[in-house]
Amino acid sequence: MTPSSILKKTVMALTGLALVGFLIAHLSGNFLLFKGDKAFNAYAEFLEHQGGLLIAAEVGLLAVFLLHIYSAIRVTLENKAARPVPYETKQSGGTSTFGSRTMMISGAIILLFVILHVKMFKFTDHEHVDGELWGLVMQAFANPVIALAYMAAMVVLGLHLSHGFSSAFQTLGLTKPGWAKCYKKAGLVVGWLIAFGFFTMPLYGLVVKPKPGAKEHAPAKTIKHDENDDDASVFRPVLTEKGTVSWS
Amino acid sequence: MNVTLRVWKQPAPNQPGRFESYPAKDIPAEASFLEMLDIVNNQLESEGKEPIAFDSDCREGICGTCGIVIDGRPHGPGKAITTCQLYMRAFNEGDTITLEPWRAKAFPVLKDLVVDRAAFDRVIQAGGYISINTGNACDANALPVAKLDSDRAMDAAACIGCGACVAACKNASAMLFVSAKVSHLALLPQGQPERRTRVVAMIEQMDKEGFGNCTNESECEAECPKEISVANIARLNREFLLAKLLT
Ligand code: HEM
Ligand code: FES
Repeated sequence: MTPSSILKKTVMALTGLALVGFLIAHLSGNFLLFKGDKAFNAYAEFLEHQGGLLIAAEVGLLAVFLLHIYSAIRVTLENKAARPVPYETKQSGGTSTFGSRTMMISGAIILLFVILHVKMFKFTDHEHVDGELWGLVMQAFANPVIALAYMAAMVVLGLHLSHGFSSAFQTLGLTKPGWAKCYKKAGLVVGWLIAFGFFTMPLYGLVVKPKPGAKEHAPAKTIKHDENDDDASVFRPVLTEKGTVSWS
Repeated sequence: MNVTLRVWKQPAPNQPGRFESYPAKDIPAEASFLEMLDIVNNQLESEGKEPIAFDSDCREGICGTCGIVIDGRPHGPGKAITTCQLYMRAFNEGDTITLEPWRAKAFPVLKDLVVDRAAFDRVIQAGGYISINTGNACDANALPVAKLDSDRAMDAAACIGCGACVAACKNASAMLFVSAKVSHLALLPQGQPERRTRVVAMIEQMDKEGFGNCTNESECEAECPKEISVANIARLNREFLLAKLLT
């Protein structure tokens, strides 16, 4: 028996919201990037030390992601099949948005991004990078091509969530008649806010080009200035023969 | 006024169709869109040509029989009207107006602008009714209904089943229609006994007919001549999921 249309949409909404939940957790952890290498690397290490728990979470996340993609593809194909002869002149009544009309395209770009992103930061050795994982990330974002590509991907994520977040609540039947005017706007704001949160990170890496260790020496307000601090200028990125950047 | 019509002409189901141009000359601006088509058809018939096939019945916006995609909008320009309630004054002298049938796999074209909407009837047959032994009508006040429920049920029951929601939806989804039918019965006491089986059966039939899946873009609501709200779709989703969970 094939699952009903509403069931397929329910799977998409539940997995979509689970992914949003992951994004919020991921975003809050990633804000430690701004605190400097020590804080961020300690957080990364903490996660790695969870061992089996982390692996279970990763497998669960992968399953949710694949389920979302599977139902997205299925629903989209069915929707295409439901109108075999297209209109020549069809116009929008004004309620759909660019984001809502391009969910499959934005989704596909997000998929591509996620694959590259995981390869780049999860499956690249950071043990020997100055500043470890933090250094690896900042080194990548110092490259304008990478930073701009990340920022562009986050705009696409914003587009996807600008429709997807509110849409999920409607699909689950969790909207009320009285909310007609506001729930889509609320979803739009939340969707773009999440994407903006991630957007700030490549922007920070590209513009500020922070150096490992710099932040940890930053004087707290009550403590006197530490002269080691000014030597931040000794950290300079140097292109190695292998094409990676090291800090001297 | 004089306009040019570009009309989808298709002799029969499953045959190739194409656009053909027709001049519509000396049309009074106060003519309705369908009256304009009548004038053009009279002219065509007097010339011994095949008239343009289109559907209509009441011509006052209550039966849901008419329906043409006019310049890319189901029921044409204007809000909360059916094709029969559209007037030529909405157009300008010299305009070229494109007429297409509802496009959906579940609504096959019968001829020109006429589509077969029996899929809607089969969805209703699957559960859009209440089973009662009819006798005398009971006293109007014997069965109290909360004001808000009765208002919402009435709003949903305003659906005339014209199919503009399907025509407007980029997925050719019938969710607005089905949600209106499910809502108006789910909100009233008479609809309660079959509430859970009804929604499941109607959705099953809807899927079988080959309508698409709703992606919550509300284009249906924008084109609905009766301004049925997509809040009904949220209710339909809720009713369906609860029925699946509870039975
Ligand atoms: C490969 C990646 C992805 C693809 C191909 C994809 C595709 C889609 C498609 C086609 C829809 C349906 C559009 C609609 O209902 O109008 C959708 C909905 C949704 N997506 Fe994605 N998506 C992807 C990744 C993501 C990610 C990473 C998230 C969350 C962070 C997400 C969150 C959502 C949400 C919340 C919905 C709304 C569900 C609903 O309408 O009921 N998606 N996605
Ligand atoms: S002909 Fe009855 S609604 Fe238009």
